[in-house]
Amino acid sequence: MNIERDGDFITLSMGPHHPATHGVLRLEVTTDGEVIAACKPDIGYLHRSIEKIGENLEWYQFVPYTDRVDYVCSMNSNHAWVCAVESLLASSDETRLQIPERAEYIRILFAELNRISSHMVGLGAMTMDLGAFTPFLHAVGQRELVNDIFEKTCGARLTYNYMCVGGVTSDLYPGAEQEVRSFLDGLEKAMREFNKLISTNNIFRNRLAGVAPVSAADAVSFGLVGPNLRGSGVDFDLRRDRPYGFYDRVKFEVPLGRRYAGEKGLLGDCYDRFVVRLLEVVESIKICRQILDQMPPSSGKEDDPVGGWCVAKAAQKALRKPPVGETYFRCENPRGETGYHLVSDGTKFPYRVRIRTGSFTALSIFEKLVPGLMIADLVAVIGSFDIVLPEVDR
Amino acid sequence: MTISVGPVSDSIAGWLVERGLPPEIAAVAAVLLVCAGPVLGIAFPIAGVAQYFERKIAAGMQRRKGPMVGATGVVRLVVDLAFFWMPRWKRAALVARIERAPVIGPILGKVRQLGLGSIAADGVKMFLKEDMSPAGADKLLFYGSTYLALLGAFLAFAVFPFSQWFHMGDTPVAALYLGAVTGLVAVSILKAGWSSNNKWSYFGGIRSVAMIVSYETPITLCIAAIVMWSGTMSLQGIIAAQYHAGWFSFLGWNLFQSPLMVLLAGVYYVAALAECNRAPFDLAEGESELVGGFHTEYSGLRWGLFFIAEYTDMILVGGLFATLFLGGYQSPIGEQWIVSLPPLGEALAHTAIIVVKFLLSIGVMMWIRWTLPRFRIDQVMGLAWTKLVPLALVGLFGLAVTQVMVASRSGMRTVEHGRYLSAPVVAMDLVSVAVSWVVLGGLVAVLVVLAKRHAKGRGMPEDVSKVLLGEEGA
Repeated sequence: MNIERDGDFITLSMGPHHPATHGVLRLEVTTDGEVIAACKPDIGYLHRSIEKIGENLEWYQFVPYTDRVDYVCSMNSNHAWVCAVESLLASSDETRLQIPERAEYIRILFAELNRISSHMVGLGAMTMDLGAFTPFLHAVGQRELVNDIFEKTCGARLTYNYMCVGGVTSDLYPGAEQEVRSFLDGLEKAMREFNKLISTNNIFRNRLAGVAPVSAADAVSFGLVGPNLRGSGVDFDLRRDRPYGFYDRVKFEVPLGRRYAGEKGLLGDCYDRFVVRLLEVVESIKICRQILDQMPPSSGKEDDPVGGWCVAKAAQKALRKPPVGETYFRCENPRGETGYHLVSDGTKFPYRVRIRTGSFTALSIFEKLVPGLMIADLVAVIGSFDIVLPEVDR
Repeated sequence: MTISVGPVSDSIAGWLVERGLPPEIAAVAAVLLVCAGPVLGIAFPIAGVAQYFERKIAAGMQRRKGPMVGATGVVRLVVDLAFFWMPRWKRAALVARIERAPVIGPILGKVRQLGLGSIAADGVKMFLKEDMSPAGADKLLFYGSTYLALLGAFLAFAVFPFSQWFHMGDTPVAALYLGAVTGLVAVSILKAGWSSNNKWSYFGGIRSVAMIVSYETPITLCIAAIVMWSGTMSLQGIIAAQYHAGWFSFLGWNLFQSPLMVLLAGVYYVAALAECNRAPFDLAEGESELVGGFHTEYSGLRWGLFFIAEYTDMILVGGLFATLFLGGYQSPIGEQWIVSLPPLGEALAHTAIIVVKFLLSIGVMMWIRWTLPRFRIDQVMGLAWTKLVPLALVGLFGLAVTQVMVASRSGMRTVEHGRYLSAPVVAMDLVSVAVSWVVLGGLVAVLVVLAKRHAKGRGMPEDVSKVLLGEEGA
């Protein structure tokens, strides 16, 4: 048998085709038996130069490409892009758009629904990585219900292309509110089942407790965002601290990691990140309910400032001649802060599009975090950071 | 010298000799027939059925509708196979016409194949796949280890009793023999992992050997305890020792003899799960970690052989669990009437009962597999050496003490020493019975407390566990 020997180490190439790397990630792992001595992420297998494509498309044409930046939460990516473009347009009085109130509500409703479905995939995939296949299917079952709602609204189940500059492309279908409510009720029950089945399972918890703890200082200095940052106990959530959309009109708590695994756990370990995601789903349910209570009814007229859903004409006019300047807009996505940096030279094409994503920075901490863990732990770590590869490579 | 592995082969050999065969050939043929009988007639079909049920059970637990419905009609299947050259729409029209036919239509249209075709389809698929070996593989070991896996699984059936006379051979050292041949699985997995020239396979092989060798220890201790209790190493002897006359024959089973037996049974079952590489101990395959573990590089029927070996192992483990703790092939009620049946009826009844016990045991294994996540290798080792081995030792020594102390009790299988039949010994006997039931109560209490803590989410802040599990779950 030909095992490459480098001292007493074996070099394993984990990926790009490996069941646990959630896409085409390659980790070059040097192991001493089961224990990992070094781990080097190797990315770029999914690079599609989305940022460069952005420079060659008109502002509104880029929305479908944001779907592909992170296909697990396309709505949130859409939301971040349209908010970024709208904030650019808002820098001049002539091009500022008055987004209908209902459209803003629909946006954050769908953003939260997609956060739920994205977290369900992340949580489920993590349980599958640890060898429990059943909870994964239960979690993905809930995601299918969200997809049903999205499909009825915009016709797509994965890449929605639903939000547009100036609002959303279509109003909610009749009965959507009721359907979302009944979905949320079912989800609450399903979450409890899921937690009883796997989250509080002792084998599961012992696999995650104390594994790969990230200190708060490390989390900040490596640029971790979203649930990964909050798992380490850093209290920062863009939805609460820099509210966009109508997030300032809803009340919710920001769950933080605090050694959920008990005495075996450490602050910011894999189990903390897992539980923070679980709790975020619970908070998202609350947010969705509040939005449904506050949302004005549809007026049936597209550009009605309260009950409409899109100011398409004004947006088209504004996008033909956007103000010169640049803007950076960031949204709290399921995988953390997603930022769009746009530079405009006043033409209908962006001068530069730059995307900042959470998974990319999460991957950067691997080199520091993983040495000393076992191969089975590495799989848990990948799952706990909820890395989605197209977001890393773009 | 004639070869004989028991009365069955003898009678078959005699029958063949009467038909004019030379006695040597008749003896060998009889032994071969008798050996192949249980494996081909019972183990293989059960492996097929078990695989079928695994799909159904998994689908049921995961709320996947597809495998639970199995809705393709038999009519459509037959038409598709018989008229495969026709375009699809013609076949569909034919099916519709048959199902609309006046008398047979409503009957035939309701017949569903329930996914039974997938058992055959799986076999055909495996036969048709290319048999590959990776470049740089050690061909001899690579090909040989598949047969070794099967050998280990099948050899164990050589001493396995299906009924009082339906067994291939019962040596007086059957328990020792079983310990030896089940170890062959470890060798085959190690060889498969080593010879594949693949690092993931290599890891799978190493993990599996470390694990199987560790878990052999508690298993052997459990078997030793039963051997001591029954006073024999022969499996037939162990089963015969559990015979209890009267309606409630399950009262004679080892499991109900002492609380320590419950403990040993638990230890044995957990260790046996690890022994046959089933979840939560499936580290050797470790699909999400090691891609496919030791069988990453195997394709087609060679992979299938590992699969069959795994299922045969599961059946064997279930059978041994039944033999050691649940009276083997004996019926839970009214065993004495089954024993008095004519030989063929007795064999059929007992074989049916042991098959039911196989299936129950396999069902529990599947239930566990589709519920629990996987251990990490250090946790698996810790479980074996820090929990199971001490528990098995407690069981072993506890049983030894019980056996000496309760020597006088009627109904207990034990060495009889007349001199213990005195008043203090009888008093000790009563005390030991009381103690053993207190121990059982204590065990149950500990289990209940553990289960409650588990449900609460131990160590988790109260407010969070309330949010996660709901008010009523906390």
